[in-house]
Amino acid sequence: MSASPQKELTTGSVRYQPGEEAPNVAQKLFALRNQCTECNICEVACALVHSPDGSINPQLARLRIDHAPHKPSKVSPHGIGFVAQICHHCGNPPPCAEVCPTDAFYYDPETRAAVIEQDNCIQCMECVPGCPFDVVFVAPQGELLKCDLCGGDPVCVKACATRPEMLNEGKQYVRLPVLFFEDQAEFNRISKQVPEAQDEVGMMQAMLERGEISSSA
Amino acid sequence: MESRLLRVDLTSGELKSELIPHSIFERWIGGSGINNWIMWEHFLTHDINCDPRGPDNIFVFGVGPLAGTGAGSGIKGRITFKSPCYNMFGDSAGGGKFPYMARFAGYEYIAITGKAPKPVYLLICNGEVALMDAAHLWGKDTAETHAALQAELGDYPSKTHTLSISQAGENQVGIAGVVSDALRIHARGGGGAVLGSKNLKAIAVQGNGSLPVARPEDMLAWSEDFRKKIDGNEAVYGFKRRGTLGAVEMYQHIGSHFWRNNQGNMFRGDEIRSDNWVKKYHKYSEVCSADCYIACDAKYQIDGTESEAAKKYIGETFRRPEYLTTGSAAGALDVRDWSEVAHWGKLTNDYAIDNQDLSCSISFLMELKQRDLISDRDVAELFGHEQNLRWGNMEDIEACVESMVFQKNLFGQLFRDGPYYGALRYSEMKGKNFMKYAMYGKGGASFTEEVRPYPTWMNNMAVASRGADHLKGIGLIEKFQREDLSKVYFDGRTEAADLTIPELKGACTALAENQVALLNSYGVCLFHWMLDPADYTPQDYYGQAYAAVTGIERTPEELMRDGERICNLEKAFNSRIGMRREHDTVCERWMWEPNPEGTYSNAVAADMFETVLDEYYEWRGWEKESGLQTRSKLEELGLDDVADVLAQDGALADG
Repeated sequence: MSASPQKELTTGSVRYQPGEEAPNVAQKLFALRNQCTECNICEVACALVHSPDGSINPQLARLRIDHAPHKPSKVSPHGIGFVAQICHHCGNPPPCAEVCPTDAFYYDPETRAAVIEQDNCIQCMECVPGCPFDVVFVAPQGELLKCDLCGGDPVCVKACATRPEMLNEGKQYVRLPVLFFEDQAEFNRISKQVPEAQDEVGMMQAMLERGEISSSA
Repeated sequence: MESRLLRVDLTSGELKSELIPHSIFERWIGGSGINNWIMWEHFLTHDINCDPRGPDNIFVFGVGPLAGTGAGSGIKGRITFKSPCYNMFGDSAGGGKFPYMARFAGYEYIAITGKAPKPVYLLICNGEVALMDAAHLWGKDTAETHAALQAELGDYPSKTHTLSISQAGENQVGIAGVVSDALRIHARGGGGAVLGSKNLKAIAVQGNGSLPVARPEDMLAWSEDFRKKIDGNEAVYGFKRRGTLGAVEMYQHIGSHFWRNNQGNMFRGDEIRSDNWVKKYHKYSEVCSADCYIACDAKYQIDGTESEAAKKYIGETFRRPEYLTTGSAAGALDVRDWSEVAHWGKLTNDYAIDNQDLSCSISFLMELKQRDLISDRDVAELFGHEQNLRWGNMEDIEACVESMVFQKNLFGQLFRDGPYYGALRYSEMKGKNFMKYAMYGKGGASFTEEVRPYPTWMNNMAVASRGADHLKGIGLIEKFQREDLSKVYFDGRTEAADLTIPELKGACTALAENQVALLNSYGVCLFHWMLDPADYTPQDYYGQAYAAVTGIERTPEELMRDGERICNLEKAFNSRIGMRREHDTVCERWMWEPNPEGTYSNAVAADMFETVLDEYYEWRGWEKESGLQTRSKLEELGLDDVADVLAQDGALADG
């Protein structure tokens, strides 16, 4: 066996040109700030899914993990940690497409993503500074890389580890990853669940209190 | 599956690129398996009894085929060499981003021989290699070296990741390690001393290359399944939160710590008994290695409000201590303040020194002092000046660390190869036998955890190929008393899960050694397997990922055989340098002195030691009397060539 993954996963039959009125984007990519551990699995998974020949090269990934100094968050009040730099899928037309001199971008309603048509791209790199979030990347060979939402089911979200900082009392955890593919209202609701950094009862102490073990001495 | 091997001859400065062919992967899997084979071949043309600190020794770095493929199972790089401290087979695993980036830089295996005329570092950038002058790095610790190299080499074509030694390695301290990215230490065995003796300060890698995957779709599917399994595993969540520190409370509960050179089994001091300190120290999580779905690591930052002692370390930030950092400081040395424990972790990492060897060496002396077996004058003789040796006193401990790293005095010189050789040399010097107080197994320093009640672990300490070691044959079935696993592996028998009898304990060591050898060869972390040894099996579940990446299809039985082959090569190495059954032993305290506290108190190793050892050789198919391998066993594993070499050296049993 071994069909390599496709180079470009977007196959939308209906393509809207920039500026054209497009259906509303329901779901977007979101990242919780400073929760990321820099495990790079999202980068590797993205690189593998978009790989032209089935090999892995994280420099071909459509997202990056960056150190985020001095940006406090609820669980990291000191503002140290990492953030995932992801495409925010700004709607139609996105700023990256607005600055494109060759109209290489199109909006794909099936995947809900603004996508670069590589055949039309002249690699002028205008879209790189054009993106307000710095998430259009340049591959080592010069190709422009932008998130295409993997055909509507982004692999980075599936690859994102749930974090224990989302600790609820006792042994039940609110299992939240760092990356989400949700609509805005749902993401707002989820992000409100993130508890503040809190004191924790030690494992054995909790088990003793619950009567699951008895003291030896 | 193919890989690139970089051969570096530091004497001539020659750099040679070689291809590791598919057939080598079929025989040795990858990672530590291939490292072992590279070293074995080297010592067919070089004297295996050479001085480990001499130019004839070899230093191999390697990373297995599963590393960095999105498996989510962590990455471990491996260094392999002849150990300068224990003078036997030596290897050590380490995480960090260095092994990850080494793959993208173009070389997954690096074999270093000879000795450079002046300090150099090795730079690998997208397949291009160079030896660079390291005069400006000499005399720096690993944190400084890493920072200097990152500043020097910059962010293109990728961030710079490094493997470096400290002043301890430069001074060829036998227990000096090698540190990946200034954070993750390859501590065991003295790899730092080998690099120091070769004048190689560091290896830096940068790259934006690609990794081949034989069946990308299978790999994506496997990764997704693995991640779902992990997300559904409740045990993982406690581990994500605390890492190995969860053991602090558990061991306090059952009495399994290594307190004051193992005179006791429980920590003293209120706060240190519990891991309920995360609120003070845990500032954010950071993954240990790339490609790990657990991320049991975290960072602390001390702000001075934690305790009186913490005022000394305001602003210090480093990795949260893990269990053996705590076991060595709060246990072996009886340090009772968490900020001091954390500082001990940073100190030993920056100086790249094995904190197990170092703590056992210091606690040995502290016990002699406690028992008035040595006087203040004796201590002054060791340190060249008056020196206190008080349990838990950080000033005294730091004086010992500095003495060791900078080889300042007699203490540093006598104990540079760990507690066993240190105690031997000191006993000889004083004309008294102090060996009763040295904690070791097979010449290697004890790991700072109680092992007397656990026959499999005790057996691990005695037979591990790199000297006293729990990670070569980690006894999960016994310590967690897993009857279910015992039934799976031993035809429905449950004895392996019973601590109180010797049956199947040696068998457990042999089984676990084979499984661990596989994981080490895949290039992944052991912890994922430990968190669910029934589901994440190296020979079956991981075997599927191995097949997806390399295209090498194996049945679980074949993979177990591959693991066994790798273990047998490590054994053959030690047999060649003259190690026999009498070397597979542990220290007097473990053997004869009952452990004083806890649920499993009053255990001594001697009760079951020889029975378990016999059983281990039996399951290995080795000769019991000498501990040597037999030709029939080696031929069964396809190691006819190894048997020939052993026969030539008189290191093969009859049969």
